[in-house]
Amino acid sequence: MTGTAVWTGAPSALRARPFARRFRGWGYAACVAPLVIFLVLTFLWPLGRFLYLAVDNSDIVDNLPRTVAALATWQRADGVPGEDVFGALAQDLADARSRKTDGIVAQLINQRLVGTRYLILKTAKLAEEGAFETAPRAAMLQHFPEWNRVEVWSTIADDSARLTDFYLLSSLDLRRTAEGSVAPAPAGQAVFVQVLLRTIWISVVVTLVCAVVALPVAHAIVAVGPTASRVLIALILFPLWTSLLIRTVIWIILLQANGPVNGGLQFLGIIVEPLDLIYTRTSLYIAMVQVLLPMMILSIVAVMRRTPKDYMKAALSLGAPWFTAWRRVQLPLIMPGILAGCGIVFVFSLGYYITPALIGGPKEQMISSFIAFYTNNTLNWGLAAALSIQLLLLLVLTWCALMLGRGLVARRSAA
Amino acid sequence: MTFRAERVRRWAMYSHTLLVLAFLLLPLLVIVPVSLTSGNTLIFPTPGVSLRWYEEVVTDPRWVGALWNSLLVGVSSTMLATIMGVLAAIGLAWGSFPGRKLIYAVAAAPLVAPIVIVGVASFSFYATLGLVGNRLSLVLTHAALAVPVVLTTVTASLAGFDRTLMRAAASLGAGHAQAVVRVLLPLIAPGVATGALIAFIISFDEVVVASFLSVAEQRTLPRLIFSGVRESVSPAIAAAAILLIAFSACLLGLVGWIQSRSKRGARL
Repeated sequence: MTGTAVWTGAPSALRARPFARRFRGWGYAACVAPLVIFLVLTFLWPLGRFLYLAVDNSDIVDNLPRTVAALATWQRADGVPGEDVFGALAQDLADARSRKTDGIVAQLINQRLVGTRYLILKTAKLAEEGAFETAPRAAMLQHFPEWNRVEVWSTIADDSARLTDFYLLSSLDLRRTAEGSVAPAPAGQAVFVQVLLRTIWISVVVTLVCAVVALPVAHAIVAVGPTASRVLIALILFPLWTSLLIRTVIWIILLQANGPVNGGLQFLGIIVEPLDLIYTRTSLYIAMVQVLLPMMILSIVAVMRRTPKDYMKAALSLGAPWFTAWRRVQLPLIMPGILAGCGIVFVFSLGYYITPALIGGPKEQMISSFIAFYTNNTLNWGLAAALSIQLLLLLVLTWCALMLGRGLVARRSAA
Repeated sequence: MTFRAERVRRWAMYSHTLLVLAFLLLPLLVIVPVSLTSGNTLIFPTPGVSLRWYEEVVTDPRWVGALWNSLLVGVSSTMLATIMGVLAAIGLAWGSFPGRKLIYAVAAAPLVAPIVIVGVASFSFYATLGLVGNRLSLVLTHAALAVPVVLTTVTASLAGFDRTLMRAAASLGAGHAQAVVRVLLPLIAPGVATGALIAFIISFDEVVVASFLSVAEQRTLPRLIFSGVRESVSPAIAAAAILLIAFSACLLGLVGWIQSRSKRGARL
């Protein structure tokens, strides 16, 4: 049915219908519009804008335009640049100071070449006062001999592009050498790969513990009668309704040196001195498992309810030992539920922030804590954004692995 | 012999389940005696029993102010999320325009994004607008976090709604708006109410975004507890925690009541 045929010959009633339907379709689209606009403005745009900070470097170009232009043809081998570059920098820094952006410039350059913060700030201060108006090169070198270091200039020159891979490389403990190749960061500054591996490791442990602990509970929920099963589910759901913060606070109260757990153990005479329970890896595992276990149980139960119980009985009646029957018959059937539960628990663990921040020691902090740290303490947006990209990529990879695993399980059970 | 092995297995399974339940639930109960202490610290066993810490939570202007902030932010973001979520759920369920799958995916994004990234990104965004420390920024972000839940619950109750009822209303002379208000909304009300309650709890319990976006005067209740825990754990925090648990339990009961009522209504 082509549009033109309808248009030329059809009576008006037939023509009006598609029009009315199309109009109604747009009416529904208009219902959805507020939500879409809202999410774009308050969620997607802030998120995208923030993640872009991982590669954004325009602050240097915007604040030091003359210097960047003057350094365009400068090479590292040329040594300390000439009069024109010094003059341009003095003017740029004076302008930056009057705009109150000299702090940003100092911070950005200091991130790349540690120890230059006060050099930039003091130079900017004197530049605004007009100390470098005549013979800027000699005057600046006289006040601040550090400008004799070629590295300071090459840092500014290397940073004059609007985009940078500095933060993304830093988040993987890599950096660019003076020759432009990628090399590992010095051992003292290499922390992020370790944090990444620790985040994955903690999440793997929590996920496995949850899966092992949840399986018998799920079996029990399916085995008991409908009323008991509903009560069990309600009891397991209840902690989910208490906020993560409150449940973490509860563990702090329980595990602290003079808390109920230590008090109870001392009262029973099992220990004499209170144990260090809090701020350890074990306390983090305990608290995370308590928070995430209900989700694992519920996803396994959801699949277990759909699987027929007869298969297991058939395997047993054919003489298979119980564990063999469970492993070869029951486990493959409930595998989709276990995988879904593991996926949820693992993804939630990767992004954990509150619990490690409150009951973990410094060696238990995960990626999220570092994202918060670089935002709150050093205002290093670039690094915070690069670490966020790392975390999001990790989540996407997990999701892909999960889809792959589901496909494999489905194919195996079909075969 | 296999019969005995079976019994041992059952016994192990049920005792394991009991242990897990104790692990999940007992910690929530153990802090009750802690909150009732008459001492100044969280020492256990407690020196005596008193309600002084509950009294402090209910009368100290810091706690009361934080409660009001939480309620204000929670109610505003819930209203915002509910209005947008209901409209969008209707549009997505009944309309047939391109890109609906994409919209569902976008609307689910706040659920899966790590909360720290949401907090930092919002902080960076509202800082450029000069809105950090303004409750509006917190309300907007909480509404974005709560929208997916409202969308899900309302979409679920729309699936059980018979659309011929709308045509029946129209044939009886009801205008479009009248049919929506008098036929559609009462029938999907349980889904809307459930979504709104969960949206409120999400905002009421949220601490990470609040820790980035609020300054001292706009501290919400979870934010106050968070900073309190970092400094020193006073028994007032245990008391506040118990009050929050009780509050969440009441809301949960309300949700359960709405759900069971709507199921009974559907059966009738």
